[in-house]
Amino acid sequence: MFRIWRVLLLILSLAILSYARSSTGNSLLVVLDPSLSKDNYSIFFKGLEEQGYELTFRAPKDVTPAIIQDGIASFAHVILFTPETKTYAKDIVPQALVDLLSKNTNVIFALGSKQTPLTSLASEFSLILPPPGTPLISHFPERDTPATVVPIPVSFPSPALTSGLSPVWYSGIPFALGNNPLLVPFLNAPSESFAADTTEDSGADAIVDAAERGGEGLWAGKDMSVVTGFQTIDGGRALFVGGIELFSDEFAKKEVTKGVKSGNAQFARDVAAWTFQESLVLRVDGSTHHKVNETQPGDKYTTNDHVVYSTHISKYNPTTCTWEPFSGLTDMQLEFTMLDPHIRTSLPPVQGKPGEYSVTFRIPDRHGVFKFVVDYKRKGWTHLHSSTTVPVVPPRHDEYPRFLSAAWPYYVGAISTSAGFVIFSVLWLAGDDRGSRRRKGAKAE
Amino acid sequence: MLAYSLPSDISPSTFVNTASLVRIVALGLISAAAISSRLFAVVNFESIIHEFDPWFNYRATRVLASKGFYEFWNWFDPTAWYPLGRVVGGTIYPGLMATSGVIYNILHALNLPVDIRNICVLLAPGFSAFTAWATYMFTKEMKDESAGLLAAAFIGIVPGYISRSVAGSYDNEAIAIFLLMFTFYAWIKALKTGSALFGTIAALFYFYMVAAWGGYAFITNMIPLHAFVLLLMGRYTNRLYVAYCSWYAIGTLSSMQVPFVGFQPVRTSEHMAALGIFGLLQIVAFAQLIRSHVTSKQFQDLLFVSVISAAVLGMAAMVLLTYKGWIAPWTGRFYSLWDTGYAKKYIPIIASVSEHQPTAWPSFFMDLHMLTFLFPFGVLVLFRTLRDEHVFVIIYAVMGTYFAGVMVRLMLTLTPCVCVASAVGLSQLIDTFMDPREPDVGEEEEKEDGSSTTATPSKKAAKKEKNAAPVTGVGAIDDIVSTLSIAGGLEKDKSAKAKTGIFGLDTRMVVLFNTAAMLLFFVLHCTWVTSNAYSSPSVVLASSNPDGSQHIIDDFREAYYWLRMNTKEDAVVMSWWDYGYQIAGMADRVTLVDNNTWNNTHIATVGKAMSSPEEVAYPILRKHDVDYVLVIFGGLIGYSGDDINKFLWMVRIAQGVWPDEIQEPNYFTQQGEYRVDDQASKAMKDSLMYKMSYYRFAELFGGGQVVDRVRQQYLPKQGPTLDYLDEAFTSENWIVRIFQVKKEDLLGRDLKSANGFAQGKKRKRSKPPVKRRVLA
Repeated sequence: MFRIWRVLLLILSLAILSYARSSTGNSLLVVLDPSLSKDNYSIFFKGLEEQGYELTFRAPKDVTPAIIQDGIASFAHVILFTPETKTYAKDIVPQALVDLLSKNTNVIFALGSKQTPLTSLASEFSLILPPPGTPLISHFPERDTPATVVPIPVSFPSPALTSGLSPVWYSGIPFALGNNPLLVPFLNAPSESFAADTTEDSGADAIVDAAERGGEGLWAGKDMSVVTGFQTIDGGRALFVGGIELFSDEFAKKEVTKGVKSGNAQFARDVAAWTFQESLVLRVDGSTHHKVNETQPGDKYTTNDHVVYSTHISKYNPTTCTWEPFSGLTDMQLEFTMLDPHIRTSLPPVQGKPGEYSVTFRIPDRHGVFKFVVDYKRKGWTHLHSSTTVPVVPPRHDEYPRFLSAAWPYYVGAISTSAGFVIFSVLWLAGDDRGSRRRKGAKAE
Repeated sequence: MLAYSLPSDISPSTFVNTASLVRIVALGLISAAAISSRLFAVVNFESIIHEFDPWFNYRATRVLASKGFYEFWNWFDPTAWYPLGRVVGGTIYPGLMATSGVIYNILHALNLPVDIRNICVLLAPGFSAFTAWATYMFTKEMKDESAGLLAAAFIGIVPGYISRSVAGSYDNEAIAIFLLMFTFYAWIKALKTGSALFGTIAALFYFYMVAAWGGYAFITNMIPLHAFVLLLMGRYTNRLYVAYCSWYAIGTLSSMQVPFVGFQPVRTSEHMAALGIFGLLQIVAFAQLIRSHVTSKQFQDLLFVSVISAAVLGMAAMVLLTYKGWIAPWTGRFYSLWDTGYAKKYIPIIASVSEHQPTAWPSFFMDLHMLTFLFPFGVLVLFRTLRDEHVFVIIYAVMGTYFAGVMVRLMLTLTPCVCVASAVGLSQLIDTFMDPREPDVGEEEEKEDGSSTTATPSKKAAKKEKNAAPVTGVGAIDDIVSTLSIAGGLEKDKSAKAKTGIFGLDTRMVVLFNTAAMLLFFVLHCTWVTSNAYSSPSVVLASSNPDGSQHIIDDFREAYYWLRMNTKEDAVVMSWWDYGYQIAGMADRVTLVDNNTWNNTHIATVGKAMSSPEEVAYPILRKHDVDYVLVIFGGLIGYSGDDINKFLWMVRIAQGVWPDEIQEPNYFTQQGEYRVDDQASKAMKDSLMYKMSYYRFAELFGGGQVVDRVRQQYLPKQGPTLDYLDEAFTSENWIVRIFQVKKEDLLGRDLKSANGFAQGKKRKRSKPPVKRRVLA
């Protein structure tokens, strides 16, 4: 009996484990270069497995499992731990990787300092990589590690990251960020760091000369990023990491200062959670609109109607794996648009109704085909977009006021003319006739 | 003395009865001819709505038939002029749809389940029969029944009218010409009899006309003009006063009930003439009253003072009202009637319509044939008698001729007048040569004196012939014709005519045979023109195979059906405005612009998108939620009415709104030629229209010479490429090409580089944005 209970408990725990943390699925393909050992990243992979991901490993040159089978993505998430790989199997080409993102598959890219297909792909994501063979170098703070292994404090507070993280050990390349609003930087290089192909002080002049000749300036400073997310227009997420060592067991265990463990393990888990659509995932459950004092949505509205627009927003909760109503957005706006927004108003959360956002407004005095547009785009968060088309029509012929006080002169005119006509007719018929007869009679006489 | 003998043993009542029977039969035959000659379109093709505007009328009629009149009145169409929408009820003349709706409901009440489409298709031929009848009535008032029959026969088959009323040409003009003629008839009748009843009938038909066609302004100005000319000729009568006032008061009040017209009759310049004449008539009538009460000298002083002051006051009021904006200034369409170059300069959208072009000379012959030269003769004949109603036709002839010369489409309003005048002229000619009397001075005069005392004209004629002619066997038809002609119109001229005339039978025969032959050729010409030129639905094209059989080119319907079946129901289709109604009617999709060209800016937006490079056009397309772009391309099959040939109008209209961004000269070569081959200008080659038209065109020729069959030019073998649009559909003969607008790139790149990436092009290594300069 006890054994049965234990088996049942095991099955239950397994079921919970296999329940994905991600909002999009739990299958995960790891493309791992043969030169890298799976064991070096055991903390990272184990963490993912514990969260319920089903990891499948594959070498870049393996033919199976294909990332896209018959036009359908085979996995919900893909990790490319192939920083130095130059040749892949036929199914992994840059175009296919972008295609993956369009199929709402999330991808983690680990870049290296060599020129590979991935480095040229990065430029499609508005990442600007330094010339090959120029890793991030920092001589500060003083430490016993080489200059290319840099402790980076997490100074950039993204809501996706756990607060109060210790500095993260990093070894790899930095990259500049292009002017693309879809980029979500997570970790920027320290101010004192720079990218160079030598760590020797004697080469410093050469670096400066090269920087001047290239016209690019020095690859240096805190505007360089080392870990950057990218959220596509459709909501697929990608993560670019300049050095794969970030995920390694060695860096995870390494101490930053005496007694303080590095933040690598937690940082890696956080960015992976963001990439795999566990955190900062929102969705619009639905939106309705109706006239004030009505409940059914109208298929059209009349100009100057008062309407209520409400939308319901949920946030994904990775710990319970459920969508929960979310009232935490305070800066959402509703636009009532025909070509241009005719009305732009804030869409505040409704007190007492979790997840509900509502606003009442008067439709402008303009007929046309309008759209209720909610377009909420914040860095890191899922972009919320909802557009509902509704025609706004002029009043019907019987919806205008019947009597206008301004028209009294006309009413009076019409009534007096009618009355005058009646009186005239009466006088004509009664008075004139008799008169003429009398006159006729007089003539006859 | 008579040229040929006439039967004398026929009673007068037999004459009258036979004559009216023949008239009825003739009218019936004319109606049948009018209807059946308009059925070429159905016989050659099928029962289908033609061209462009009729598609909207048809769609509106379906709404009316299915949802009822009030829903139709309040119909707001969100699928047209996206995203502005169109208030249909307030921007159309509902007469046509209401007519079909009434017919539809009557037929269904009689348990005749006729499809609404067939009612729409056959409405125009049906009304052409009414037009023939109305023209008969009108011409009868001008001369006599025989002229009326001739006029009815002319209007029944004349191409100038058929061009707008073949089966399937479901447009406002289909019923408007009938209403025009009948209103004129009622007006003439009212004027002749001084009857308020006929004035009211004229007003009611005027109201119907206002509800049916924007050309009602022609009546609004013709009748006042007639009244004014009569006043100037010193022909003021109380009959004129009664007729005009009853027409104007009732007609104007009722016309204001049409939502589209509203307060225009009291606020726009086009209607001011009618109002002014109304006021003038009151003054004149009042003056007449005064004159009957005061002495002549006093009256003349009074008249002088009042005329001067009234004129000054009236002018001042007009200027003030126009200045204050109470009276709208003349519209562009009106100006373009007087200055043919006006539209091209200021309102290209009006000039771009082919039926707004000035008429070419050959088209007069094409549309009117021999009536072209019978017409002036008829007017001349009218001048000879010049009764009040003749003045009307003369004014109509002058105005109609001018307007027909200015705009092709106004040929339609000229045609009835031409038919009437020609019929009067021709009937005069036939009368003269049919008249059996020969000029024999002494005898004739005696006879005239003897017969003119009898009461009714027909009796008089019959009697006279009885007296004159001994019993001999002559053809009955000749007899009746001559009886009619003598009975109808010639009494007045009789004394003058008696001294002149035609001698002998042979001279008569020569002229009459010639006339008959001309009429025959006229019929042949009309039939030929109708079947060859005016019966094409233009939705379906026809060409002939080498063996002479007909080959149907059905690309339009193929493409519209594709749209209907393969796109989202709320997909927005952008095309040049010519095809808006067809897309809405056949594909049932949302359109940006259509043939109701009420918003010039919106059309210019489409023109700008079409004439700009892709990257400029793309934001415009996205802003208007465009999903598909439709272009018409005739280069493969040689269909000359395609979008490349209309392209310059798009450029011009866009230039009118964005003169800084679009310039017409950029689309010509250095030498000022309009070319599409490798010498084409850069703006031309980059334009969206050019790219869409010739996208993958070169592939058809398999490396051979790429020929555009419309423009007879050789295109470069390397065709244009598209980055922001995808080819979605191309019809069998490439006439219709539909392109899908791509969504924004997933990664936020511009679509050109995204496309380059997808095709495997290497991107140049970009540099990081330099935020500060490096210290030297």
